[in-house]
Amino acid sequence: MRRSTHVLAGLLATATMQSIFAIEPEQVTLETLGQPQASWVVSHDVFGPRYVLDVASGEMVGMISTPAFTPALVDDPERQEIYAAESYFSRGTRGERNDVLTVYDYENFAVIDEIDIPDKIAALSFPQYLAMMDDGRHLAVFNLTPAMSVSIVDVEQRKFVSEISTPACSMIMPAPDRRFLQICADGKLQLIELDANGTEVKRSRSAVFFDLEEDPVFAKPIATPDGWLMLSYQGKVHEAAVNGDEIEFSTPWSLIDDDDFAAGWRPGGGQFKAYYAPMDLLFVLMNPGGEFSHDDPGTQVWIYNRSSQRRIARIELEAPGTNLHVSAGEDPLLTITGSDAQLHVYDVKTNTLLRSIGSVGVAPGLLQGFTVEGAR
Amino acid sequence: MTQTLFEWIDSKASASSRAIARRSSRRGFLGRLGSTIVGASLLPVLPVARADQQPPEEMGDPQSCDYWRYCALGGTLCTCCGGSVSTCPPGSEISPISWVGTCRNPVDDKDYLISYNDCCGKSTCSRCFCHRAERDKPVYFPSKANDILWCFGTESRSYHCTVAAVIGEVTS
Repeated sequence: MRRSTHVLAGLLATATMQSIFAIEPEQVTLETLGQPQASWVVSHDVFGPRYVLDVASGEMVGMISTPAFTPALVDDPERQEIYAAESYFSRGTRGERNDVLTVYDYENFAVIDEIDIPDKIAALSFPQYLAMMDDGRHLAVFNLTPAMSVSIVDVEQRKFVSEISTPACSMIMPAPDRRFLQICADGKLQLIELDANGTEVKRSRSAVFFDLEEDPVFAKPIATPDGWLMLSYQGKVHEAAVNGDEIEFSTPWSLIDDDDFAAGWRPGGGQFKAYYAPMDLLFVLMNPGGEFSHDDPGTQVWIYNRSSQRRIARIELEAPGTNLHVSAGEDPLLTITGSDAQLHVYDVKTNTLLRSIGSVGVAPGLLQGFTVEGAR
Repeated sequence: MTQTLFEWIDSKASASSRAIARRSSRRGFLGRLGSTIVGASLLPVLPVARADQQPPEEMGDPQSCDYWRYCALGGTLCTCCGGSVSTCPPGSEISPISWVGTCRNPVDDKDYLISYNDCCGKSTCSRCFCHRAERDKPVYFPSKANDILWCFGTESRSYHCTVAAVIGEVTS
């Protein structure tokens, strides 16, 4: 009797609590995205999809479900679209191969179209394996079979246009007037011009500017307001620009003084350098491993003013880093993929670690940003 | 088993490129290669020393990235995935083309050309990741570049792991 009174009192209390504090029944709905922000970083899980994170808050924004071995993304803020060259196999790791240029929207990172392209795309992560021409219409995709070629895709008409053979020349570096540069094994740059339909009409080569055996340039160029910046294994900075029909080079300068060079400091990693246009800053991951350390993670980031060619800061990293990205905007954030599988975010103005972001796949690789004002 | 025409061509191409490699300096050899790729199917390795001599012993742990043959390898080690230093794991597919490295054997202090062949057709074996870059070149010079998924000429492009087979001694 006494026990049942207690149970009854408890039930009444619960019912009263529910009437006062009850959570309203919910319906599951879908989140949508706002406009991409300068602080959004696309982090490629090495054998998986792309995690999009706001490194200013440390929160995940969404996911772009690219398959493994999708080399890079290109976005177009006017069309509000993201493009990815992707390989698929009909049975996962086997079966018939089908390469496509997949079109994702900004609103949901959802697939909105697919364009069939030659089944030849290069697999590993290099940002300049994919690039939009300055007409905003023709997208170039680098192929490696291991013969080298470039597929041109008309994203406006949603169709593959042509394949251009580019023996011993790789990467795609857009130049004015529907042209692009490539780095070639003979130590030259190649310039290819397309017509309004995306067909090759002209090609030329520059003078020799590096020696493949002595000091090759990395196949990891970055864009500046003046053209393209390339680094050599030994830390020489080469800058190239297209002026009329000429490919012009600035006088090379070195990132590394004699003492640091003797101490073994070299640039290296994955996508190990970045450029911040508003302050003309060049960021480079450096390691003290000496010769042949060009793929090793960096233990420091060295920051240079590009026009004065002077180093202005060295950041000792929380964990050795392989890839880096600098966000656009007034308060640049430096994001680095650490060997501890976390993203480490630094405030560039104070050179301090803001936060570390974990659980971003098995191992974060290439980092890319969105095209927002001041981003490129 | 009857040898197919393609297998016969492969074996001839492989033998001739190895013969060129043995007769040439590394730089000369690579110069001739240009943008073409070493046809280095994983047939039994050619004799490194003369027949009347014992081949030199090898030192080190083939499951460790420090192993001498891995001086320009980028990938995961097949020795940790059911294969060996020169055999692909069961059920995988041998990539018939490869990139090459020049590594010094610490036992006889001689340089050897090493063929790094990817084993393909299965999911990535995420064990014993290894990345070293001695004399590694950028991707615009593929025959010496390890930043490439080398599952070319295979039915599947799916990457499984990488082996490191001796092609021959560098004689100059």
